[in-house]
Amino acid sequence: MQEERLSEQESLRIIESMINKAKNQFSENGHLYLLWGWVIFFCSIGQFILLHILHFSWGSLIWILTWATVVYQYIYIKRKLKQRKVKTYTDEILGMVWLAFVISVFLWAVVLGNIFENTGRDFFGFVNPVFLLLYGMPTFISGFALKFKPLWLGAIGCWVLSIVAALLPVDYQVLMLAVAMVIAWIVPGYLLRAKYKNNVSNV
Amino acid sequence: MDFKELDPILHAQLRLAIMSLLISVKEAEFTFLKEKTNATAGNLSVQLNKLKEVGYVEIVKQFKNNYPQTICKVTPVGINAFEEYVKALQTYLPGNP
Repeated sequence: MQEERLSEQESLRIIESMINKAKNQFSENGHLYLLWGWVIFFCSIGQFILLHILHFSWGSLIWILTWATVVYQYIYIKRKLKQRKVKTYTDEILGMVWLAFVISVFLWAVVLGNIFENTGRDFFGFVNPVFLLLYGMPTFISGFALKFKPLWLGAIGCWVLSIVAALLPVDYQVLMLAVAMVIAWIVPGYLLRAKYKNNVSNV
Repeated sequence: MDFKELDPILHAQLRLAIMSLLISVKEAEFTFLKEKTNATAGNLSVQLNKLKEVGYVEIVKQFKNNYPQTICKVTPVGINAFEEYVKALQTYLPGNP
C-alpha cells in the first residue's frame, strides 16, 4: 500500500476491508473440543463398562486419563500461544470463560468431597447432572462468541441431558455424559475443524 | 453542508489500514499487519512509527523463542481519533446534513 491522496469512498472501503480481514481471523480449530470430547466420552463409557458390566470396583480410576489430558493441553496451549500472531477480544474473553469453567469443575469436585467427608452423606447422584450443567455454560457462551450454532445447540443439549440424568438411576447417569460429549463437543469440534481448514485455505 | 476536517494522520491509505486492523483486535504482531495490508516491512515500519509518535498506537518489542517480536496495540487516544475520523468521514457521505 502506498501513501497517496485518498477519496472518502476509498477510506470507507479500506476501513471495511481491514475490519473484515481482522474479523475473519477464525482461530478456533476445534482441537481441544475434540480432545476433551473424546477423552470424556471414552472415560464415561469405560467407567460404565468396567463398573457395571465387568464389575471391576476400581472402574472410576479410568478418569485418571483426564490428568494426562491436562498435561497435554498445557503443552498444546503453550505451543499455540507461541505461534499466535494476533490476539482478538473474543480469544481473551473465551479464555477467561473456559478458565472459570475449569475452576468451577475443580471446586465442585472439592465441595462434593468435603460434603461426603464432613457429613457422611452421599451426594454422588448430583455429580453428573451438575457436571452437565457446567459443561453447557462455556459451550453456550463460546457458541455465541464464535457465532457457531452447533456449539450452542450442543450446550442446550447438555442442559436437557442434565435434567434427564437427574431422573436416571445413578449408575446410568454417566452415559448421559457420553451423549453430551458427542452433541456438545465432538460433532461441533469436527465442524469447527472443517470451518477452520476452509478458512485457512481461503486466506 | 458542513464538512469536518479529516485527521491527516489517519487519512492515508496504509495508516488507515493499520488502524482499522488494530481497532478490531486486542493486539497484533508486526507480521500479521504486514500480511493483511500487503505492505513492505519498511513502509509499514515507517507508518507505524508515525502512528506511535502521535500516540495512536503502542509498540512493544520483545523476544519470543530468541526471535525479535513486535507487538502493536491501539491506544485509547487512537480509538478516539479513529472514531472522530469516521464521524468526520460521514459528513462527506451523500445525504448527510
